[in-house]
Amino acid sequence: MRFLLLISFILIFGFCSCRRDVPQAENSAVQIPVPDHFPPLVYTFERNPPTTFGVELGRKLFFDPFLSRDGLVSCSTCHQRGVGFADPRGQALSEGVFGRVGNRNTPALANLIWYPHFNWDGGINHIEIQPVAPITDSAEMDMDFRELLDKLQKHPEYPDLFQKAFGSDSIYSQVFLFALTQFMSTLVSHNAPIDDYYRGQSSLTTEALAGKQIFDSKCATCHSGALQTDFSFRVNGLTAFNLADRGRAEITNDDKHIGAFRVPSLRNVEVTGPYLHDGSLSTLREVIEAYSSGILNHPNLDSALPVGGFNFSDLEKRQLRFFLYQLTDFSFINPN
Amino acid sequence: MKTFNFWTIILSAAVLIFSSCKKDDDDNSANTPGAIGIKFDHGWGPMHNPFSLNTPLIHPATQEEITFTTLRYYVSNVILHKANGEDWIESESYRIVTVPGSSSTVRLEVGNIPPGEYTGMTFMVGVDAPRNTSGAQTGALSPAEGMFWSWTTGYIFIKAEGMSPASPSGQFMYHIGGFEGAENAIRTTRIDFGGQSLVVNGSIKPDVHLKVNAARFWHGGISLGDISSIHMPGANAVTIADNFIGAFTFDHFHQ
Repeated sequence: MRFLLLISFILIFGFCSCRRDVPQAENSAVQIPVPDHFPPLVYTFERNPPTTFGVELGRKLFFDPFLSRDGLVSCSTCHQRGVGFADPRGQALSEGVFGRVGNRNTPALANLIWYPHFNWDGGINHIEIQPVAPITDSAEMDMDFRELLDKLQKHPEYPDLFQKAFGSDSIYSQVFLFALTQFMSTLVSHNAPIDDYYRGQSSLTTEALAGKQIFDSKCATCHSGALQTDFSFRVNGLTAFNLADRGRAEITNDDKHIGAFRVPSLRNVEVTGPYLHDGSLSTLREVIEAYSSGILNHPNLDSALPVGGFNFSDLEKRQLRFFLYQLTDFSFINPN
Repeated sequence: MKTFNFWTIILSAAVLIFSSCKKDDDDNSANTPGAIGIKFDHGWGPMHNPFSLNTPLIHPATQEEITFTTLRYYVSNVILHKANGEDWIESESYRIVTVPGSSSTVRLEVGNIPPGEYTGMTFMVGVDAPRNTSGAQTGALSPAEGMFWSWTTGYIFIKAEGMSPASPSGQFMYHIGGFEGAENAIRTTRIDFGGQSLVVNGSIKPDVHLKVNAARFWHGGISLGDISSIHMPGANAVTIADNFIGAFTFDHFHQ
């Protein structure tokens, strides 16, 4: 009996000390960088302050094909870091579950907490809500939201991870979206050469500076500021009038918005092709050429754009391209 | 004998405890917050003819044959009114009425109401603009409830679906929403309790019976043949929202 008692004491002691030796990692606050030269933040984390466990959980969800109908498509299938969170497969229109394709090009992801709206037509008004669209869209991940939450609740790992991140192992839509939002919030790209230039830390090459001058006078009317967008919806005339995808008019039902799409941020644009809302241009050279000589007389063409094009010289095209390379943030697309 | 004594003591103690509990309740409950039920009793037409899903009905005005397969709508921002003009406004007040296949009546419970006598109520059919624009919500406002558009952010306030030979496609689908400007389809109705007072306190749980005329979707010259599909905010959604808010009338209390 005494022997048994001794054994139990040793066992209990052993477990206690083990526990003390390997302390549980603590959940802690995550600081999201907010660069001075960026516009004011749109998402301010009031209800959803990012934590290490929350961001980690969001990252796991983002990369997990478990979230899709066929178990093969994750967010990261179409959004990979190496290409600025655009589609690494370079598809004009990305393949979702069962090889289905939608009608819009995968947007690159960066600096989303500065976005007032999401998607090419701006139909989504909040970063927390945005993931609902690709997850439920039949051509993307095609999951019923209720079914997805039930599936996660029965998963061997997720309930514990939600417990650690949000203090409850009950997986409901708000905490699920909070976790994804926390991860998406960390995708801040602010260390491209253009950022160093804005911060006054370094200059640009002569060629890129010349390109910047052209960009500032011809492109920055719409591609303005440190994120190279004013988040407006405009018709660029690079694609023909098309009632099959009415663009912004799909949301507003206003005929004047047919063919209008969001002015995209040009962060990491060197690596995020193909380009335009329908992915119809493969390279930056093609995009610059299109703005130079291919602006169509679209009935809703934006007033800032000349029919026909800007008629850039070969030197100007080259300078513009060199300027756009200054928007590539290698520390973002290829960390460590 | 010993056993008898023992059980007597236990029994007396139990009786004492229970009776004292009850006395406490009685003393306080008239002054403690209470709950009410709101019963939405769905009918068909101004005569409140029987309504149920999956049953062909003839519309009293348009004479169109209509079979509902789905009828759901948000009831939100409940306010109770007192005769003296005081209001009680429920916070986090979001619920969905889902008409089941088995019954035409749906009961929602509203709790934590300050004790008092109430002469009317107001509620919204829809979801207020702030909750359409402020990110991920909980409870009845979860996108998992299936009353939410994923491609253009906003709640589907009213979902009415079914079949009709009057529709070119043979089906009808009304997904009513929109919270901005001219597309605002949020509608509010005030229901007066016909001069009666609804007594609310912790010791009773009265029910307010409302009649809901499901035929009201097609009112004021609107027929299903004209509008059979609405899947986004806009003029048609506003028309249907205007019609449906007129569906709610006070019937009686149970208290």
